[in-house]
Amino acid sequence: MSRTEQLSVSKTSVSKIAILALAIVFAAGLFVVGFDQGHIFSLVYGEQAFVDLTIHELTHDMRHAAGFPCH
Amino acid sequence: MKTITFITIVLVSGAIAGFVHGTINFALVEPYLDQAIGLENESLFASGEAEDTLEFWAEYESYRIWQKSGQVLAGVILGLAMGSLFGIVYALSRNSLPGKNDVTRSVILAGIMWLTIYIIPFLKYPANPPTVGDGETVMLRAILYVSFIALSGIGVVIFYKLSQKLQNNKKYFGLFGYVIFIIILFFVMPENPDEITAPMNLVNEFRFMSVLGVSSFWLSVGLILGLFWKKFEK
Repeated sequence: MSRTEQLSVSKTSVSKIAILALAIVFAAGLFVVGFDQGHIFSLVYGEQAFVDLTIHELTHDMRHAAGFPCH
Repeated sequence: MKTITFITIVLVSGAIAGFVHGTINFALVEPYLDQAIGLENESLFASGEAEDTLEFWAEYESYRIWQKSGQVLAGVILGLAMGSLFGIVYALSRNSLPGKNDVTRSVILAGIMWLTIYIIPFLKYPANPPTVGDGETVMLRAILYVSFIALSGIGVVIFYKLSQKLQNNKKYFGLFGYVIFIIILFFVMPENPDEITAPMNLVNEFRFMSVLGVSSFWLSVGLILGLFWKKFEK
């Protein structure tokens, strides 16, 4: 009986690729809204991105409202 | 369920719930953000860091519009992110969640995640409006906040797994263990280093509205993913 329960608990009908893809969306989205201080745009614009803070300002209000430390 | 269907319903439910969150914030939280930023500006004028000129207000208006216009978009992005985490956890735990159908199970999981990775961390590190917070400590505060969320989330998984190994009433030791773990975390984790200089009624009202906004996300994502799962499961 307990063996049957264990099997049904561990069984999942979704693929590992789906889990990996969603994990990437989770990490990327969380970084954009919660923590970016110019890092993402610095890949293109260099140091100026840390001055412009384009994504930081775009997500500023949600960052405060969702409880993330902002400034 | 097909992989593409699973990913689609998770992302769509996260995006819709994020849209709801952003829209509610726009209505409820924005007035408090404006008020707090107003205090910030007064402080800048008083300290001489900025001057109350037309140029200042022109620049202020331009970036405030950008910040406000991002509220709903950022809600959708955050919704995609947190909805993805929710979808992963739901897929992995669906068979062991209580509830008669996917809607009930999904809402129950949303409630568990709302409590363990939002409300409990919020009690230790509550949201603050713009006028609160020293830029020098933002990295430390981010590390503390994320660490608390991660520890609470990992803790609930570990103690749940532990309770599964126990029989009958002993299962409650898992819940008891998690409560003790959280109490220890509350004492061990450092306090937010920043002093609150803004009026407390503004801070408290902002926090209340913030909780309403985030709670709307968790309720929405639980309901929507549950409904989608029920409809598309084969």
